[in-house]
Amino acid sequence: MKNILIILCCLLVSPIVSAATSIKAEVNGMVCAFCAKGIEKKLNAMPEGQGAFVDLKRRIVVLELKPQQNVSLDAFTQVIKDAGYAVSKVEKVEQSIVEIKANIKASMKGQ
Amino acid sequence: MFKQLSVAFLLAVSSLHAQSAALMGFEDSYMLMTETGEYNQELMFNYAPSIHHAFGVEVMRMSPKGMRATTMTGINYTGLIQRWNLPSAQANVWFMGSVGEARGLHHGFSYSPSVQFDYETTRLYFLAKMRMLRAPGMNNDMVAVQGGFSFYEADFDDTQPWFVLEAKAIKNFNPSFQLTPALRLINKNYFLELGVTNPFNKSERAPRLNLMFTY
Repeated sequence: MKNILIILCCLLVSPIVSAATSIKAEVNGMVCAFCAKGIEKKLNAMPEGQGAFVDLKRRIVVLELKPQQNVSLDAFTQVIKDAGYAVSKVEKVEQSIVEIKANIKASMKGQ
Repeated sequence: MFKQLSVAFLLAVSSLHAQSAALMGFEDSYMLMTETGEYNQELMFNYAPSIHHAFGVEVMRMSPKGMRATTMTGINYTGLIQRWNLPSAQANVWFMGSVGEARGLHHGFSYSPSVQFDYETTRLYFLAKMRMLRAPGMNNDMVAVQGGFSFYEADFDDTQPWFVLEAKAIKNFNPSFQLTPALRLINKNYFLELGVTNPFNKSERAPRLNLMFTY
């Protein structure tokens, strides 16, 4: 009975603490902070986003979406192209920027 | 007059060609660039309405050793002709041109078209540039190559230090050959470079400071 209650509680709470959605892309040509600033500026200007993250070493850019907001992968790719760069891979991930940063940190420790 | 108009027309045609070329990023940004050295002082401010091109104003002072300086003031255009976005590198071909007025040792209509190629990874950097620098009685055309490396890879929010070596040859100028080793710091908002021109020649040795801000 106790276990069932715990499962029910988890099911009720899970929508509230559900993972944030982010769009993550690998970007070709992004080799210095000076030039990548254009990408950050474009991403921060997107009304659907609530934060942007640029990882220069791994050539990754991330846009964390606001709850209930959506941006198509094509639209996101076009924003990067408009900033002057090329996208080699783009995907939606159920992670926040904080979680993505933590994963990167963890993978660095594992190396 | 006809010659001046012809040059202005050629610059305009070149500019239009550059505008129709590849995309490039930093739309709606302002940039301030300065160079301060014994032989050359330059101040340029431009605005990029799109990723294709930027328009601005500049003041350039050429100060050959032992001679009176010439100051050129004018308007300029910068355009990206081609960009290659590679998995771990970027290469660009740029056109830059300015028209204006020269004062000092030389007087009159001045013009300065140039073409630049650069290639950069997160650790290596190469640049080659050809620039015409003309005014009545003045021909300081130049070619320059730069090569450099960064000491380490940096994160987006960090400042990255680079060592850069520039070799520059300038027609009818003293010194006509300038070798400048420099330390360059690149941040997402600024670029600062401190170098010494012709460090091994006591009579020509001179510090040089380059700054660039973007916002």
